[in-house]
Amino acid sequence: MTTSQTRKELSLKLLAVAIAAAFGSVHAEEPDDITALTKPTSTVAIGGGFVSGDEKDRSLFSQYNGLREHDAFFLLDFDFLRRNDATGTWMSFYGRNLGLDSRELRAQWDRQGAWKIFGEYWELTRHYPRTINTSLEGSGSTSPIVTLLPAVGTGHDLDLKIDRKRSTVGAEWWFGKNWMVEASFINEDKDGARIFGRGFTCPSGAAPSPICTPLASGVNQWAILMLPEAIDSRSQQFEAKVNYLGEKLTVQAGYWGSFYDNHNGAMTATINGNLNNPLGHPMGQDGSVPLTAGLRNILQLPTALPPDNDAHQFYVSGTYGFSPTTRATFKYAYTRAEQKDDFLSNGLTGAPPGVSNYGGRVDTNLFQAGIVSRPWSKLTLNANYRYEDREDKSPLALYNIEGTNRFVNGTYSLKKNAGKVEASYLLPGSVRGTLGVDYEQLNRGQFESPECLQLENADCIGDSIAGITALRSETRELTYRGELRRSLTEDITGWIVLSHSDRQGDSWLKPAALPATGSVPVSDQEIFNRTGAFPIIFMDRKRDKVKAQAEWSPSEKLSLQFTLENGRDDYSAPTTKGLSTTEVKTAGIDATYAINDAWKASAYYTFNEQGVNVAHSSGYIIKYRDRNETMGLNVRGRVSPKLQMGADLLWINDRNTYDQTLDGSASATNVQFFAQSGGLPDVVWRDTRLNVYGLYALQKNADIRVDVIYDKQKLDEWTWNTFVYSDNTTVTLKPDQNVTFVGVRYIYRFK
Amino acid sequence: MRSLRYVLHGLAAAAGFAILSHVGFAFAADPPAEPRKDAVLRGDAKCTRCHDESEEYPVLAIGKTRHGTVADGRTPSCTNCHGESDTHINKPEGATERPAPDRVYRGARRSPSAKLNEACLTCHQADAKRSHWEGSQHWNADVACTNCHQIHTQHDAVRDKLTQPDVCFACHKEQRTQIQKPSRHPIPEGKMGCSDCHNPHGSVGPKLMKRDSVNDTCYTCHMEKRGPFVHVHEPVAEDCSNCHNPHGTVVENLLKVRPPMLCHQCHTPHGAQVGQIAGQGQPSGLLSGTTSGKSGINYFMARGCLNCHTQIHGTNNPSTTNPTPQFNFR
Repeated sequence: MTTSQTRKELSLKLLAVAIAAAFGSVHAEEPDDITALTKPTSTVAIGGGFVSGDEKDRSLFSQYNGLREHDAFFLLDFDFLRRNDATGTWMSFYGRNLGLDSRELRAQWDRQGAWKIFGEYWELTRHYPRTINTSLEGSGSTSPIVTLLPAVGTGHDLDLKIDRKRSTVGAEWWFGKNWMVEASFINEDKDGARIFGRGFTCPSGAAPSPICTPLASGVNQWAILMLPEAIDSRSQQFEAKVNYLGEKLTVQAGYWGSFYDNHNGAMTATINGNLNNPLGHPMGQDGSVPLTAGLRNILQLPTALPPDNDAHQFYVSGTYGFSPTTRATFKYAYTRAEQKDDFLSNGLTGAPPGVSNYGGRVDTNLFQAGIVSRPWSKLTLNANYRYEDREDKSPLALYNIEGTNRFVNGTYSLKKNAGKVEASYLLPGSVRGTLGVDYEQLNRGQFESPECLQLENADCIGDSIAGITALRSETRELTYRGELRRSLTEDITGWIVLSHSDRQGDSWLKPAALPATGSVPVSDQEIFNRTGAFPIIFMDRKRDKVKAQAEWSPSEKLSLQFTLENGRDDYSAPTTKGLSTTEVKTAGIDATYAINDAWKASAYYTFNEQGVNVAHSSGYIIKYRDRNETMGLNVRGRVSPKLQMGADLLWINDRNTYDQTLDGSASATNVQFFAQSGGLPDVVWRDTRLNVYGLYALQKNADIRVDVIYDKQKLDEWTWNTFVYSDNTTVTLKPDQNVTFVGVRYIYRFK
Repeated sequence: MRSLRYVLHGLAAAAGFAILSHVGFAFAADPPAEPRKDAVLRGDAKCTRCHDESEEYPVLAIGKTRHGTVADGRTPSCTNCHGESDTHINKPEGATERPAPDRVYRGARRSPSAKLNEACLTCHQADAKRSHWEGSQHWNADVACTNCHQIHTQHDAVRDKLTQPDVCFACHKEQRTQIQKPSRHPIPEGKMGCSDCHNPHGSVGPKLMKRDSVNDTCYTCHMEKRGPFVHVHEPVAEDCSNCHNPHGTVVENLLKVRPPMLCHQCHTPHGAQVGQIAGQGQPSGLLSGTTSGKSGINYFMARGCLNCHTQIHGTNNPSTTNPTPQFNFR
């Protein structure tokens, strides 16, 4: 009797065979046993999938997997491999997710050790998981139009996504035994929109009167708008290198170029009519005034989108074996990054006189050398040095004039010296001990001796850093490490690493009082500033870390792995605010168990906590913690000679806590409000995911595979929940999401 | 009945004679035994006479791999990797247990990593992708090639982006959770693998970055962040990981901490109010029709500081007049 099931199997088989035949002659499996076991196998998997719920039910689950927009999907994967045994020539053709918008294809033809050519095509759509309700017109364009919605939730739903389409071609060619050339070219087109926006408050330091229309004393006007960034760009990379691969010396010399071309230069919004005030009422109510021309004009100024840029790197790297026990590595690279995108053609006006593009240029010289040696069997020595000089040669110009205060563009140069030495010795009991010292010096000398812009009839204008209270030209960090590692024992292996780092720097530099520019070295007492900005990359830091891992096999069937990590960074600067400490803690256990010859299981549990302690000039102190627990259970086995099954259960519980307190500098208003609100609530994310599959052998070279995925996610966060933009736009996410995916595929193997 | 028994006995005797005579003939003739044929690799016969596909780690499937491509004269035999293993092949008299091969890749009798890797590097040392293996973090941590790679299988899990992360998570537990978080790269979907950013065989960059620095690695996909911009944000130009955790977080855009706390690590002047959420019953002193946009709500909710400082990676807006793009407003 021909059932509908067998008809489906037959039609699927016919389709799979047809696809397989498209690659050439199809040999069903099993010419003989050895051939079956030793010849590359090709597969075609074809079928369909169904996913439950609507787009909002699966917005977290299907950010990237191509299962967002439709309920039913065509599933097609293939992996075609053919080898000519006489010549050693391979031909492979590979396709995955061909029925989804995450599809990828690759074709390769090569002869081992002689030549290779390949091509790839790759697509990825990233769906923003939140839904935007708005009246915005022209989303994804460079000229969006904003109109105040009459009420929250009355606009249209907008789902943002970004499509990436990437094509790659490449080739390798061997010349004789030691020489090889490689070349590859990648082209990627990116199209779509991502969440972005614009906000401004009038009046403010950056927009005093008369730029903002003067309002009555103490009367403010501001707006925050959701304006998706329009994305339409192309990035390309080309790399070509020559390799010399000798017995002692290997050298690689090449060129790597990368090119970014943005078809969108600037985004300029149009604001139709009025907007809401802070209370969510149209401006003009509650003591405010209707949207002023000043603020409207500011919101309608163009926003610069990422400029075209390119980078060119020439490099030579390699390794040299002095002896079987001593080997050196090296690299030198010169990179020039440039950005000369024309301002005017991108719709960006107001550049300094005579400047049509930034003319940006950053030259980077990198040198690295390392050596490892095993002078005798128990001792290993390892040393490495790395020097990087990033010099920003972009021309200076007066890009910002605020009355008598004048600022040039912000170039940023950096010299980095880093080195390490370590010695490792094999101790009794198969324990290897290692001691090491790492050193890193960062020099931002430009803060100390800023470059100068000589203006006509004016003093030299230095390279100022606006908005920063404290600078430092040099920081130095020294790290001591110790490690014990036990391996090659029958029951317990493992390692423990302890390290301590100390970062210090030169005296602090204070940006000169405007309108003067440059910086002035000052004592800690002089620079102490509760409300100052002390960048963490300049601050003193003490870092302590311990990491350990152990593996124990109490029996042949059972093995256990234990993981432990504890780390802490203490930051200090002449301020009582800003970042003070960060912490990380990890503990976990993994177990694998062979139940019998047919079934295996593994399970794990990991606890992780990351902490950041920050204090702010308003008087709040936050002890932010991201704590998560992860559990997994995996089972694989053979139910019968024809049926294999497996299941993976994943459970993650992640909680962000803020643990706020106030110090003596908090205002009475803040103290009162904090007592009323109780501070910021926790953010909770939970994910429970169960994947079950069954693989049933229909015949020796064909299977049916069924996959069922159940995913339940909860994201309870306050970030967007009650926030309303000035045009009544809202951004929401369904906090509890349940989704089930069922996929059925017919898998056909052939040679 | 008796006659039938005689017949059967006769047939059995005849059969027995035939078998014995055949065996006897074989013994008597004793021609030189034909050498056993190699099953897959050159010279594998001395191994495949015992080892086959029924092993816990099946051996014959190596024929499906690059190593099993015999037409390439550089491909190995079993003994190139496992050693000549004479005592393993010919168990010494009196030995109670068969000695292990010269190089054992798994289990309790596993050989030292350096010895195992020596076998691989005999051929793969001459490969530019592994030029910085010696001295690298994995080399230093005694990682053997076979800790990550499966040699006797057509599908080496670590070379497939979909299955590669699980191999890495055997040691890197923290990242096993992070790549599942709501804000992440498309790693669980197999669209990216760990090796898209890291070169586990050693590199010049920190953290085994594939390119020479964290930023250069990020720019391979995010070139729009490279600039150089008219107005630069220094920590951005220095290291993307100052603000982002590329493995995943619960905060949008893979930020390590939710703004404004992230920003307030360096910038403490802004925001004269404690964190607020809209609808918490703010008094008129904190929220009215005319209160400033620099409010606790606007700093903490939606995109936080980025509600106004949208171009946080730097802006190329050259406008010289207020409101200045210098603070990355536009």
